[in-house]
Amino acid sequence: MDAPSTPIPGGIEGALDVTPQTRSRATYLEVLHDWVVTVDHKKIGLLYIGFALIFLVVAGLEAMAIRIQLAVPHNTFLDARSYNRMFTMHGTTMVFLVGMPILFGFGNYLVPLMIGARDMAFPRLNAFSFWVSAFAGIFLYFSFIGGLGLAGTGTAPDVAWFAYAPLTERPFSPGHNVDYWALALFASGVGSIGTAINILATVFCMRCPGMTLSRIPLLAWIYATVSFLVLVTISPLTAAQVMLLIDRYLGGHFFDTQAGGSAILWAHFFWIFGHPEVYVLVLPAFGFANEIIPVFSRKAIFGYPAMVAATVGIAFISLGVWAHHMFTIGMTSLGNTFFTLSTMLVSIPTGIKTFNWLATMWGGKLRFATPMLFSVGFLFQWVIAGLTGIMLSVSPWNWQLHNSYFVVAHFHYVLVGAILFMIFAAFYYWYPKMTGRMLSETLGKWHFWLMIVGFHLTFDVMHIPGLLGMPRQIYTYEPDRGWTLLNQIVTFGAVIQAVAMAIFVYNLVHSYFAGKLAGPDPWDAWTLEWSTPSPPPTYNFPVDPVVASRRPLWDLKHPEDPDSAFE
Amino acid sequence: MNDMHTPPQTHSHEVHTGTVHLPAPTAWPILLALGVMLLVGSLVMSVWIGALGAFLLVVSAVGWFREVLPHEKHVDVPVQHEIVEIEPSRAGVARIEVDETHRAQLPLQTFPISAGIKGGIAGGIVMLIPAEIYGLLRYHSLWYVVNLLGGAGVAGWANPTPEQLTHFRLGAFITANIIQGATTLLVGLLYGALLPVWPRRPILLGGIVAPVLWTGLLHNVLGIVNPYLQQNIDWWSFAASQVVFGLVAGYVVSRSGNLQRLHQAPLAIRLGVESPGLEGHKTEEDDRR
Amino acid sequence: MSTVPLQHESLAATWRLPSRGRVGMASLIVAECAIFTIFVVAYIYYMGRDVSGPKPHDVLEVPILGTVCLLSSSFFIWLAEHAIAHGNMRSFRIWWAVTFLLGAIFLGTTAQEWHKLITVDHLTISTNLFGTTYYSLVGLHATHVVVGLILLLTVLLFALAGKVRPRHSERVQVLALYWHFVDAVWVVVFTLVYLVGR
Repeated sequence: MDAPSTPIPGGIEGALDVTPQTRSRATYLEVLHDWVVTVDHKKIGLLYIGFALIFLVVAGLEAMAIRIQLAVPHNTFLDARSYNRMFTMHGTTMVFLVGMPILFGFGNYLVPLMIGARDMAFPRLNAFSFWVSAFAGIFLYFSFIGGLGLAGTGTAPDVAWFAYAPLTERPFSPGHNVDYWALALFASGVGSIGTAINILATVFCMRCPGMTLSRIPLLAWIYATVSFLVLVTISPLTAAQVMLLIDRYLGGHFFDTQAGGSAILWAHFFWIFGHPEVYVLVLPAFGFANEIIPVFSRKAIFGYPAMVAATVGIAFISLGVWAHHMFTIGMTSLGNTFFTLSTMLVSIPTGIKTFNWLATMWGGKLRFATPMLFSVGFLFQWVIAGLTGIMLSVSPWNWQLHNSYFVVAHFHYVLVGAILFMIFAAFYYWYPKMTGRMLSETLGKWHFWLMIVGFHLTFDVMHIPGLLGMPRQIYTYEPDRGWTLLNQIVTFGAVIQAVAMAIFVYNLVHSYFAGKLAGPDPWDAWTLEWSTPSPPPTYNFPVDPVVASRRPLWDLKHPEDPDSAFE
Repeated sequence: MNDMHTPPQTHSHEVHTGTVHLPAPTAWPILLALGVMLLVGSLVMSVWIGALGAFLLVVSAVGWFREVLPHEKHVDVPVQHEIVEIEPSRAGVARIEVDETHRAQLPLQTFPISAGIKGGIAGGIVMLIPAEIYGLLRYHSLWYVVNLLGGAGVAGWANPTPEQLTHFRLGAFITANIIQGATTLLVGLLYGALLPVWPRRPILLGGIVAPVLWTGLLHNVLGIVNPYLQQNIDWWSFAASQVVFGLVAGYVVSRSGNLQRLHQAPLAIRLGVESPGLEGHKTEEDDRR
Repeated sequence: MSTVPLQHESLAATWRLPSRGRVGMASLIVAECAIFTIFVVAYIYYMGRDVSGPKPHDVLEVPILGTVCLLSSSFFIWLAEHAIAHGNMRSFRIWWAVTFLLGAIFLGTTAQEWHKLITVDHLTISTNLFGTTYYSLVGLHATHVVVGLILLLTVLLFALAGKVRPRHSERVQVLALYWHFVDAVWVVVFTLVYLVGR
């Protein structure tokens, strides 16, 4: 807007935001109104995150109920039906109401700030997408009291998160439980597609001057890729839900095996969504690692172009691997071979990423603040999760272990050990930016170490009952199987994780009021979000930033040695 | 917290004021979302909820429309900023020491990938000669090799006898040509892509190493891909034609020009490490030369 | 420090970004393509797997009139885009109205066809697999046509009221992109349902 007055030889200037801050006291009603009508990407991002955190606690409690039920043989804590509802709701909630919203929340908050924009490309669509997802979540949980009334667990879905046909057809699931599931996922799918369109348009159309596609932070690249994946994978899920609803309401025969319909087709449609969904969830975790690891290693990210290529590569390969969830359903040997090989192929771009993170840390000056601790934990656990993934991709091995606790342990290793750990890292890293206060490092260390111990107790040990033949989704087991002690260890680990979560939630609340003041740039970082005050004002930047390298704040802090001189 | 961070010295200038356009807050999105959800939810609840949802949907869609047309509603936020000059913080930047003696010595130039493709095409044609010689000597037929590659077990031609294999068959001929063409092109492409790894001896790579690896790989997986072909293949003549392929491809590649090879750059630069200073180092060295 | 970096490159004049409307619509089209793909795959998968009649060959007639109308509307909307880009509002209104009419005729032929299928041939969505897949695939496309027609009609009414100006050219083109997509999908649906599947 304002032309800089005197050029400096280095070519770098800063614009200091000196807008006077007027803090007027607003009533609770006014504050509430502000949040409801907001179209500001930061507030919507925080709404997403807060919404997801509530459901994280809810779904965590459901997981605890599952673990308590399995702690001893012949337990009567839950009956079979309630147990089915618990694991269905746990899975559905964690994927659709925790994972996606929390990642979209961070994306909403960070992507415009990182690319030097003032808002998303479609701010109103953004608000709409959030509220549809939020209402869908509330609707799904309304099933506990809806329909049959408050007694018992109502009509909560009990068909597992993949809801295989023909169990979901009217004759086998009368009542409304499957309807609640399908409708909630349909609505949240609409919200997800809206947000994905928004993020894509933002990344491509809202960049500040100088922010070319080869300079945007890797997180923005990752969110663009994830959004593309959401477009091509959530849409099939939405289409499949529509088919299911046509079957249930209009008497269609898509998945009606009595009239020639195919249960396998549902499995295909679900996993065409289901497997790329894992990458929708894990890629943002990679994005957080891409931002956090360099800052705490004091080195620029190693191999930026390779990272971008690997991200896009993962997205495309992930579209061709879905049937590795279906080896036991029965395919031709050609199909088995193809999906085994394509699944193994994913390990190449993910391996590139892992080595690039290691190369970033190599020779750097590491600072083990809490975000970095969680990132290092993520690196180890991600590699292990990937290795069991390669084991399961081998179809004969898969025939042996499919639907056993080995599989459960494998995907929780990804979802908790990799994704949740990076989400925690992101909280510790960006909480100062979002609230203006640091999270307590002491509590953070407690959180990390308890989480590590609890996680490994639970999910390392959980592999073994799987190898011993314990199937998933059973509500109880016989005492003579030799699974009892292992299950007790797993439950004990889950309790430790619950304690760690409680510390984390306490830390979030406590630090908001009593945390150390953060200042604009507490970590000495390099991307544009740290050039704004904490928390950023509604307008983000008083003038449009102009950048000339991948690390604009490095250039600003080191005009004697700017990155832009080497691009 | 940030012991390493030395904030740069700043000098303030005059204060600039301006306004920033931001989209105005609006309640229509949440109402539309509620309308959509009620409409969807009416399938498990009552028709009246659906009616309320439809009403909300229409009202808020119209409201939203009027919000963005003919002009998007904005709020203007006044902002002030001052331009500051940044003086170097003089915080010394630690560099990663690159010791060139223990780095891999990579060439500055390599053969282009197109050279590999050309080599692949040439090799693919020439390798027919030993294969055909084998076919002629052993079965006295020009078509045996072709049929074996293209027809047997592939296009619904189950378990043909060796007698059938010696006669011309159009389907098999076309399939064989496609397989041969696609494979040689792909192998040539792969060869071109691998050339930078071992650029000095293309004939050794192409003529010996690659055929050995390729034949070994095929020897192991052919039973899965095409069991019939595995039963009838003659591995020695197969390997011979692979070697011919590699030698010809390597020869074609090595004819594609003399490359500067001794001109070396540090590995870090070849790998794209974006550490400032490395590149400066390199240009100085170049100047000296 | 809270300082926004500014580099001394006169980028602002040369800094061009793609239009967000186009990128947004392109993204939506990608998502829609994925949805249609699933329905098309289901149609192909269930082709000829019915355990009871009626079969496609017995009841379906090739809707030549509707197809010609819908596909030619793509050409007329292109003329309208062209007109508004050059500020020729009069011909814009004419071509836009023609597009709308052609789309409406297509919808009419579909309605007629469904009416015949339901009343004469007694084929509904719950009759057999063919009915389920046929009505959902063609119905999904028809839903898109309806949405497109509502949008076209809105623009048409505003254009007749003189509220659409040449500066709205960009938005009109984004809408036209959607209409082109609806037409392109019909090519696939038509080929599959009426040519291959019959």
